[in-house]
Amino acid sequence: MMSDPQIIELCAKHNRKAQQELYDKYSRLLLGVCLRYATDRAEAEDILQDSFLKIFYSIKDFTGSGSFIGWLRKVAVNTAITHYHKNLKYRYHIEIEEFVSTETGVTSFEEDFFTSDELYMVLNELPPGYRMVFNLYAVEGYKHKEIAEMLGIDTNTSKSQYSRAKAVIRDKLEKLGKLRNSYSENS
Amino acid sequence: MKKKKTNITIRELFRKKLELAEVTPDIDLNAKIMQKAARQEFLRFNPGNFNVFYLGGIVVAGITTGMLLFSGSNNLNKSVESPAISSTDSNYIEIQVEKPLKESPVFSTKPGKESINTTHIVNSVVKLNPETPTIKEPMEKNISVPSVLHKSFAKNNIFNQDTIDKKLLQNSLKSESFLVDPQVTAGCAPLKVNFHNNLSSYDSCRWTFGDGGFSTQRDADWIFDVEGEYRIGLLVYNHNGKILTSVATVTVYPRPKVHFEISPEKAVLPNNEIRFLNYSSNAVRFRWDFGDGSTSDFFEPNHTYAKVSNYNVRLTVFSEFGCSDSLTVMNAFSGSDYKIDFPNAFIPNQQGPSGGYYSSKSDEAAQVFHPSFSGVSDYQLKIFSKLGIPIFESNDVNLGWDGYNKDQLCEPGVYIWKVRGKFRNGEPFVKMGDVTLLKN
Repeated sequence: MMSDPQIIELCAKHNRKAQQELYDKYSRLLLGVCLRYATDRAEAEDILQDSFLKIFYSIKDFTGSGSFIGWLRKVAVNTAITHYHKNLKYRYHIEIEEFVSTETGVTSFEEDFFTSDELYMVLNELPPGYRMVFNLYAVEGYKHKEIAEMLGIDTNTSKSQYSRAKAVIRDKLEKLGKLRNSYSENS
Repeated sequence: MKKKKTNITIRELFRKKLELAEVTPDIDLNAKIMQKAARQEFLRFNPGNFNVFYLGGIVVAGITTGMLLFSGSNNLNKSVESPAISSTDSNYIEIQVEKPLKESPVFSTKPGKESINTTHIVNSVVKLNPETPTIKEPMEKNISVPSVLHKSFAKNNIFNQDTIDKKLLQNSLKSESFLVDPQVTAGCAPLKVNFHNNLSSYDSCRWTFGDGGFSTQRDADWIFDVEGEYRIGLLVYNHNGKILTSVATVTVYPRPKVHFEISPEKAVLPNNEIRFLNYSSNAVRFRWDFGDGSTSDFFEPNHTYAKVSNYNVRLTVFSEFGCSDSLTVMNAFSGSDYKIDFPNAFIPNQQGPSGGYYSSKSDEAAQVFHPSFSGVSDYQLKIFSKLGIPIFESNDVNLGWDGYNKDQLCEPGVYIWKVRGKFRNGEPFVKMGDVTLLKN
């Protein structure tokens, strides 16, 4: 088992073993990131693949300032954004029902009520634009202004997409919760 | 508030659950990625990793290049003499193209009429036409071309088809071209240039103007809106399938941008000193015309007008290239701020008459009834009681009413005022109204 600095150093020299090590160590985490930005597992793995190629190629540019994991995540997120832009033309349609989401009264969700698989599913079902903005803002913690720059959209678009994404997510989570309750009542 | 709370929880929910979530990828993804990485690695030439593959690649590439060169020179049936060599006395470059082999043009420069080599070339090319595609061998023999040059051009043909035109244009730049005949070669944007094609008979021609525009007219007018250096190209297709090219350069200088403001915005003539604020850009020289016959070359001059009138102020700016721009403000002081306004109440000093002279500082308590004004020359203020009895009169705009009549404080109440006079621009004014005298 190599340490991070060792891996970085050897990867910069394109050492196959170090690359393998890097993959073994971080692929699960990065797939976790990619999956949030993808429509399905296959797309997530595509993004992951591109991310790793980018990482292997540009690891020499990693300055060592800041955390290595943070850098890896950033590469993955950027790759996901590139992917999103590349595929944008195929998915400009947004299903109408997504817009008909009402803001209902549930105000909070228990943390352990949903599994992460379920949350992934909710994200994957979101329209791509919503998904990008929601992930970047809610999970990655970027500001709307930064997101607007990354995605090449207006700051206000980012804001409104975020709030719409939230509404859709809330809706989906509620349905999921009801479904769950009805199951438990029946059993 | 309620809504906000929800937002935070959704956000936190996802962040907590998913920020560090791990998902195990498929096993074969690993192999795929490593394979791709390796391939990328291989394609990226790295002297540090020089190995037998690179060596093999180089050998293969070398052999292929050799073969292509050989077959290429056969196919092309052409002779090449570098323009660099012969362009010293040549005016243009002549390209001859065989119709069926359009993508592999045959070059020949025509440096003059006397060279034996050239005669050969021209002859051989003349024979080349679609009907007789087999005359390949003799050509080769006839043509004597320095081998090095030949090679380099053949290379160009094979590998750089699309750069041929550029290359040619660049080469012919060295010679003064007579095909392109811009009347102007430099000027200020927007620059209109008249291009003239000196050839009298040809099949078709195409101008390219270096900014993406083109024209197929014989003589082309083109307007360059944006500054820069433009390479103008002219391609002429002759009746016999020859192409002539020629280039010229047109330099378009940026135009300065003029902008100024007059301060104060509503100046009162004649006494105010007017300041001219200059916001021009790209300019090095300035010429102000104040409209009253005087001028200035300062960047931001001050000017005082001797009398009231309508003036047209004009600023002309010049760039280092002599490009100019100008802005005229017509009737610059028409909107000037001549005014006289009166308050509708005041509180006289209870301690005794103040005399009525005031300044904006001394009368902060509004103890004197006086106008706010500018540009007033003649002035007469009269104050009457409700019964119409005149109480106060002033012919000096700086003298207001202190609320006293014959050293006696007037009763609180409403009084009538009337003012008449003239502004400095000659415009008369008459106003009247009422004012309430208040008690402290």
